[in-house]
Amino acid sequence: MSFIKTSRIKSPWLLHFDCGSCNGCDIEVLACLTPLYDVERFGIVNHGNPKHADILLVTGAGNPRNARVLKNLYNQMPDPKVVVAVGACACSGGMFKDAYNTFEGIDGIIPVDVYVPGCAARPEQIIDGVVQALGILAEKADALDSKEVPKEVPA
Amino acid sequence: MEFGYAILAGIIALVAAPIIVGLLSGIDRILTARLQGRVGPPFLQPFYDLFKLFGKELIVVNHFQLIWAWGFFGFSAASLVLLVVQQDILLVVFTIGFAGICLALGALSVKSPYSYLGGIRELMQMLSYEPILLASVIGIYLAKGSYMADAIFADTTPLIAQLPLVFVALLIVLTIKLRKSPFDIATSHHAHQELIKGVTTEYSGPYLALIELGHWYETMFVLTLISLFWANPIWIGILIAFVAFLSEMLIDVTWARMTWRWMLRVSWAVGLALVAINLAVLSFFER
Amino acid sequence: MTDTFLVGFLILFPFLSAFIAWLTPSHSARTGWVWITAAAMIVASVMLMISGPTTIMIENSEGLSTLIGILDLLLLVFFLYVGIQAKSLVITLLTVAQLLPFIWLEWLSGAHHEVDPTFIVDPLAIIMVLVISVVGSVICVYATRYMKEHEDHLHLQKSRRPRFMFYMIFFLGAMNGLVLANNLLWMYFFWEVTTLICYMLILHDLTPIAITNARRALWMNLIGGIAFVVALIVASTQFETLSLRELATEHTGEALLLVPIFLLGLAGFTKAAQTPFHSWLLGAMVAPTPVSALLHSSTMVKAGVYLVLRLAPGFEGTAFSALVAIFGGFVLLMTAIMAMSQSNAKKVLAYSTIGNLGLIILCAGINTPLSIAAGIMLVMFHAVSKAILFMVVGAIESKIGSRDIEDMEGLCAVNPALTGILVIGVISMLAPPFGVLVGKWAVMEAAGTTMFGSISFIVVLLLALGSAVTVVFWIKWMARVMCAMPETCECKKEKLPAAYNVSLWGLATLVCVLSVIAAPVVTGLIVPAVSSWYGTQAGITSTAGLNLDFTIGAAPIIFLSIIAFAFLLIPALVIKVKKSAVRPVYLCGENIDYAAAWHGLADGRFDLSVGGFYFTRVLGEEKMNYLAIYIGAAIITIAMAIALFL
Repeated sequence: MSFIKTSRIKSPWLLHFDCGSCNGCDIEVLACLTPLYDVERFGIVNHGNPKHADILLVTGAGNPRNARVLKNLYNQMPDPKVVVAVGACACSGGMFKDAYNTFEGIDGIIPVDVYVPGCAARPEQIIDGVVQALGILAEKADALDSKEVPKEVPA
Repeated sequence: MEFGYAILAGIIALVAAPIIVGLLSGIDRILTARLQGRVGPPFLQPFYDLFKLFGKELIVVNHFQLIWAWGFFGFSAASLVLLVVQQDILLVVFTIGFAGICLALGALSVKSPYSYLGGIRELMQMLSYEPILLASVIGIYLAKGSYMADAIFADTTPLIAQLPLVFVALLIVLTIKLRKSPFDIATSHHAHQELIKGVTTEYSGPYLALIELGHWYETMFVLTLISLFWANPIWIGILIAFVAFLSEMLIDVTWARMTWRWMLRVSWAVGLALVAINLAVLSFFER
Repeated sequence: MTDTFLVGFLILFPFLSAFIAWLTPSHSARTGWVWITAAAMIVASVMLMISGPTTIMIENSEGLSTLIGILDLLLLVFFLYVGIQAKSLVITLLTVAQLLPFIWLEWLSGAHHEVDPTFIVDPLAIIMVLVISVVGSVICVYATRYMKEHEDHLHLQKSRRPRFMFYMIFFLGAMNGLVLANNLLWMYFFWEVTTLICYMLILHDLTPIAITNARRALWMNLIGGIAFVVALIVASTQFETLSLRELATEHTGEALLLVPIFLLGLAGFTKAAQTPFHSWLLGAMVAPTPVSALLHSSTMVKAGVYLVLRLAPGFEGTAFSALVAIFGGFVLLMTAIMAMSQSNAKKVLAYSTIGNLGLIILCAGINTPLSIAAGIMLVMFHAVSKAILFMVVGAIESKIGSRDIEDMEGLCAVNPALTGILVIGVISMLAPPFGVLVGKWAVMEAAGTTMFGSISFIVVLLLALGSAVTVVFWIKWMARVMCAMPETCECKKEKLPAAYNVSLWGLATLVCVLSVIAAPVVTGLIVPAVSSWYGTQAGITSTAGLNLDFTIGAAPIIFLSIIAFAFLLIPALVIKVKKSAVRPVYLCGENIDYAAAWHGLADGRFDLSVGGFYFTRVLGEEKMNYLAIYIGAAIITIAMAIALFL
């Protein structure tokens, strides 16, 4: 059982979704996978499948169209799972805070666990954020094991 | 093999195979990373992945895919056990074939485009390697005079000396079975996506772990089959299998994924041709 | 119960029972009578098996032989009438070409018609009688229910069910006579009776296409009939015998023996719809499903390969045998490729049947005791599996109104019982530990041991390729049946009628049980069949006991049966999913709840559909048909040349 607990934080699989980002943060996320930063050292792999993922990395401010998609993806991820909002837009709307067609960040759509600010967020910050998310993942997993069931987000 | 020894050998195989293949996968990932100029994950990463998956919530699409996942796991393990207790190799090949069928059916049991395409491609993979595998076993018979695996151990001539071309053809089979480029068409390891995850797209958590375990048994089976090509002394065979595994990793890193039509053409035109030539030569000398 | 009585019962009782069924006006009474007949036939055949092998000589059978000769004549005259009425030159000419030599043989040639013994009840005949009586009877029971639904769908004014059941039951007697006969003239009579019944049953629905296909079946089988008669003429003039056993086993190696053997083999090929004669079987699929199950998969076509298996000792060790093996392998591969492009379920089953018959002919061609044993095993297990498959396809067709594979999508969620039987049927054709695979396993092993020098690797390659291609078309079909939506509803399961339950579950259980006890079946029935007719059983290892060291092993089969039970049957029965655990399929997040649809361009709703992969561009039926006909005809021509000149 404790090996499972250790494994949870040593094997985080990612799902990365762009909620209307300018791709600046996305490029930085991609940079983390390159040999320069190499997040596979931590066991992080970018499987593009919500059913296989533990961590949902979201960039972009969110709008009504992709809010639906984001909720669908979140609901298709099995527990325990964490959400990391990457970049200023995902945290609070960024420079599009007052725009009529975007939300002020994605935490109104799905519950967010870690906010990584920056425009664009640097790879080191993103990795730091993911590592913090792992800690939260471990806590959530413990809560799950003691039979407290997290809520599903209505679509 | 006597019954008591058979039970013991079976249990040892069932317990040891996941450990050995897990460690081999770890080596695979580290070496792949180093070749790509990266550092790579820890050595035990495959085990972390496996146990993390066991700890995830069970979500499914329908219960039919679960049945076939159990079937894949059961028959993969069964084929390894049968090979280890030195049973009839042809029957073992049919058993591993049925395991592949179960995996394809599990993918095809959900109405998902990625899963369906993955399942059909899995069938194309089986179409590519099954003839080679079946014909190779007949080759083993022509070389050793028996289909039972213990006959291979009884003879001092190494199998690879009588069946060199068959061995090369079996490397094609190994590449397909290990899901390495250029043949990682139905699904693949690491994070190489094409059809999202192809065959395993709609599986998650414990059942994904079950399929991974089944795949490990399958890998062990093919590696054992390759090690039989030098059975006396067996450590040379094991070394050959290990070298073959490493060369697969090298091929994976240097080749891109190709199409299923290319895979079918290469398997039949090259693999079957090699086996056919080897069989023809052997049967000429046997006469 | 003497054996003579049992044999007489098995042949004559179906004739009597057929008349009773025909003359019974009440449908439920007729159905009850069919159940009684089925039970009687099954009991009689099992008693024959228990009482053991024997031979039966009917003394002073000149009268009976004359009667059979006259009935044969009437049969051929009837075919002539059919040909004239249809204005078909082909049928008329072929019938005349058969009638004249027959008249010469029967009355003008002075051939000695007393054959000793008349009936041989050896283990192979017992196996065939069991297959015919058990599987055939079950199919007749199924047919009572199926034809009722069939006629309801067609809204027929006047029921044709009495006529249908008459032919079905009569057929059982004719088949029993065919496999028990040692007198080749008597076998010829039963052979032509099956041709007649095949013709009558294919045109049962009286649609234009049914009549056309019935006529095609008729003339192709007539070619076989001509070959049969000419073979008998050669046999009686050159070898002074009309006994099957003498012809097959006592003249091996003599000059000109291959001529009657080739001709009888050709008759067998036409009956078994091998290429280039395969189109009649494909066309016969328009007949009602019980006909396809009984005649065109389990029994009548088996008569063709049964004859080839019987003749195997006669051509052992010759180049002709090698050619027969290559022919069988070619048919196996070709039909498997052609089945890949079919979406009509009955056509897939038809191609698969022809392929398996080719495999049995390959067994005969390899001609070692192990391969003959494999052939007999395949005859037995394939009959049961195919019967299950045809019957379940018929039941599915009644339920959903279509026999197209694409229309069967998601059947597993709607009708789990039928799906379960379909899955058992398909798996029993493909997987260890089931009997068809054990037969394939045995024949592959036998292929490695052939003594044909460098020819043997061609047979091995054909086998390997054929095996691999068959898996693809079966699993493509299963994929469509298993393709289910997310499991969000507790749907009510439908119940099957009693006749379907008994026939479908009965045969499904039979195939599972027989496969698990394959080892004692081989030891008890098949090895004696091989050793008594072929004189030796060298190469087939003993299967008794639980020792792990066997060729046709007992213990691995039991082990694999346990694995199948534990990892497939138990999960299928036990696994249930909670509604809260169900998620939609992955459609990039654009899925609309659990529906088979997604939000696409401009937020529009797009329906999800999966399916296809019939490879029609590359493997189109027309193209492949040419290859099948010409290559098949070429191989047969080469075989004929070897038979005549070598």
